[in-house]
Amino acid sequence: MRLGMPVFLGYLPVGAAFGVVATAAGTGIAAAVGCSGLVLAGAGQFIGLQLLKGAAGLATAILATAVVNLRYVLFSATMSPYLRETPWYRQLFIAFTLTDETFAINITDSRAGLSDDWSKLGVGFISWVGWTAGTALGAAATAMIGDPSKWGVDFALPAMFTALLVAQVTERRYAVVAVVAAASALALATVLPGEWPVIAGAIGAATVGALMYR
Amino acid sequence: MTVTPAAMWALAIAMAVTNLVFRLGPIALLSRVRLPLPVERWLSFVPASVMSALVATEVLHPQGRWMLPWQNIYVFAAIPTALVYWKTKSFLGASVTGMVAFLALRYFVG
Repeated sequence: MRLGMPVFLGYLPVGAAFGVVATAAGTGIAAAVGCSGLVLAGAGQFIGLQLLKGAAGLATAILATAVVNLRYVLFSATMSPYLRETPWYRQLFIAFTLTDETFAINITDSRAGLSDDWSKLGVGFISWVGWTAGTALGAAATAMIGDPSKWGVDFALPAMFTALLVAQVTERRYAVVAVVAAASALALATVLPGEWPVIAGAIGAATVGALMYR
Repeated sequence: MTVTPAAMWALAIAMAVTNLVFRLGPIALLSRVRLPLPVERWLSFVPASVMSALVATEVLHPQGRWMLPWQNIYVFAAIPTALVYWKTKSFLGASVTGMVAFLALRYFVG
C-alpha cells in the first residue's frame, strides 16, 4: 500500500485520460477498459490509439507499440535476479504488471532489501486497479469530469520519478551515471520523438557506467 | 477517423500478447541461470539511468515542450519533492509534496 499508493494516484487520472480519448475516438467503453485491463501500458496505449485514429493499419499500430514497449525487456531482465526464488505463477503476475512505475518502485525496494513477492504483487495489483478503474471512470464520464489536470495530477508521476531517482543514487557511481543519462536524454530530445530519448539515453548511460566502473 | 471497438480489441489483444512476452520472457529465462558478471554490472546501472532520463525529460522538457528552467514550475516542484524524499524516505509524502507544490506554483506563478 505504502509503495502502491503514489502509483495509484498517478495512474487514475492518466488512465482516465486514456478512457476519455479512446471513447471520444469511438472505441466504446468496453474496448477501452478491456485494453487497459489487458495491456497496462501508458505510452503504448496512447500511441496505438493515436495511430489507429490517424488511419494507420492495424499491423502498423501493433508494430509501433511493440517497439515502444520493448523497454519492458530491459526492465524484466533487470528484475530477474530478484525473482529467482519466486514461483512461476507469481512471476507471471509480477511480469504482467511490470510498467515503468512498478519497475522503478520494485527495483528500488529490492536493492534496499525490503521487497518480497507480496510487496511486488501488491504494487502490481494496486497499479492495475488504478489504471483500469481510471480508464473506466474516464470512459464512463467523458463529458463530466472536466480537466483532471486542475488537481495537480500532471505532476504525480514526475514527482514519483523524482523521489525514485533520489532513492537510486546511493553511491557516487550511480550519481555519475544519472548525470550522464539526464544530459544525453535531454540532448537526444532535440532530435528524437516520444519515448526514444529516455530509452536511448538510459541505455547509453548504463553502458558508460558499466565501462567506467569495472 | 473513428476507431471501431473491433479495431481497439484487436490492438489490445496483440499488445497484451507482445507485452507479456517482453515482460515475462527475461524474468522466466534469466531467473533460472546466472547472468555473466559484465551483464549484471550493466543491469545494475539501468535503474538510475532510466529514472534520471525520465526525470530530466519530464521536468525540463514537460509534455514535449522546451522551457527555460527559471520559468518552469516543474523544476521548482521537483526540488521540494526530492528534498522530502531524501529526508523522510516516503514516496507518498514526496509525491503529495510535489503535487501540492506544483498546484501552488501554478496558482501563484501561472
